[in-house]
Amino acid sequence: MQRIGKTVWKRLKANRQTLLWIVISFATLLIAWQVASMLSQGRVQIPAPLEVFEAFFRSMTVPIGKNTILEHAGISLWRVLLGFVVASVIGMAIGILMGVSPKAHAVINPLFEFVRPIPPIAWIPLSILWFGLGSSNKIFIIFLASFTYVTINSYEGARNVDPKLIGAARMLGASRRRVFTHVIFPSSVPYIFAGLQIALSVSWAAEVAAEIIYSQNGVGWIITMGMNNGNITQIMVGMIAIGVIGYLLSTLMRVVEGRLCRWNRQET
Amino acid sequence: MDRPVKVKVDHLVKKFDELLVLDDISFSVKQGEFLCIVGPTGCGKTTFLNSLTGLYDITGGSITIDGEPVDLKKHRVAYIFQEYSTMPWLTVEQNVQFALNLKREKAEKAKKQAEKYMELVGLTEFRDYYPDQLSASMLQRVVIARAFATEPELLLMDEPYGQLDTELRYRLENELLNLWRQSGTTVIFITHNIEEAVYLGERILVLSNKPTTIKKEIANRLPMPRDIAAPEFIELRNQVTELIKWW
Repeated sequence: MQRIGKTVWKRLKANRQTLLWIVISFATLLIAWQVASMLSQGRVQIPAPLEVFEAFFRSMTVPIGKNTILEHAGISLWRVLLGFVVASVIGMAIGILMGVSPKAHAVINPLFEFVRPIPPIAWIPLSILWFGLGSSNKIFIIFLASFTYVTINSYEGARNVDPKLIGAARMLGASRRRVFTHVIFPSSVPYIFAGLQIALSVSWAAEVAAEIIYSQNGVGWIITMGMNNGNITQIMVGMIAIGVIGYLLSTLMRVVEGRLCRWNRQET
Repeated sequence: MDRPVKVKVDHLVKKFDELLVLDDISFSVKQGEFLCIVGPTGCGKTTFLNSLTGLYDITGGSITIDGEPVDLKKHRVAYIFQEYSTMPWLTVEQNVQFALNLKREKAEKAKKQAEKYMELVGLTEFRDYYPDQLSASMLQRVVIARAFATEPELLLMDEPYGQLDTELRYRLENELLNLWRQSGTTVIFITHNIEEAVYLGERILVLSNKPTTIKKEIANRLPMPRDIAAPEFIELRNQVTELIKWW
């Protein structure tokens, strides 16, 4: 994590102008927020940024419900991680299988295309009935959210391998298995990573949605509780946590991708 | 000293459905020989190579290496074609080691071989570069180093320098001759460039068009390195040109 932080910092340092625009962009948001908060006095309640940030940092040590915000974030992240990893492994396997085997594609794709348009949120009622009210139903929703993107991209990756490279490996004496491990898989990595990146963002959104509908902890729960108690500051604290974590997750994926797909400049 | 026969093509026939592409082709290539095959574009040169490597099933006749049917798992055959077939996710060094890794050579040996051939084709200082950072001639050098690193007993080349400009082509041709001399590999080099065939080949096989047959076999005894401006060179080049004349 520290190394990734360093890499991000190094990039920002190398591009001071980018850093400047980031500062300007956040400063604009904060000023607009402050102004909106001042203008809204007595009408719609918009807490001032300072008040929200104060509550945000306080919640790191003072619990909201039973947990501090860091613990809530940890619980949410753990669910995302479980669902995302399982979906990634299965999605990659099925996607690549469809990419290399027209028969597998012919059998799996119709089912996949039928299930794909159903948004993960639509599965929440079923998942609660199937898996109960604990973490399992959320992990199931995260699995569904990630699975689609990883599968599609892995399929595209395996399907778009340059036949010339497969031919070259064959000529150099590669067995079918080695063609897979040494050509098809590495060649698909940029596609797979693009899928993983979207999948992780979507997983995070699905997790929050599932927590908002029913949960006893997690960052989505903070928002629901804030709404139930009319505590707008708490709602905004929860939203900031969601935004920060979402941003960190996508940055993390970009850095990992940059390292693994250095050869693929369009992607890095 | 007479060299043993490495590759024997015997009454080879290849049809695509009813279309006869290769019509009763017979010739042999000796151990360590550099054979050039020339013929008009689209005359079935590539079909011949693909038949040789087993990519296409042949309709009739036989192709053997050392008297046995071609088996890519057994015979060390390397194939270089016009398109650059470097693996984009591997560095130059990893690309040169690629075939050795496929064959599960020991890492130490693979590294040593890669060192040797990167040095021979002048790529050592570019070892950590990725293919998209290299020029066309460098890419083809990587492919050539990759092929030679496997120490092939037979090297098949299908218009490998077709996309390069004249100067780069000369340079790579000389490098190839150098590698061939050092390795003793048998080379079958297909081209439609007559000058290239006369410059490289110890023997030239001239093909006719549709269906492909062997028009003539010409022994090229000009001493190497050959001078493309020498009268004997020009004479031989004209002789081959006369045989082809597809324009």
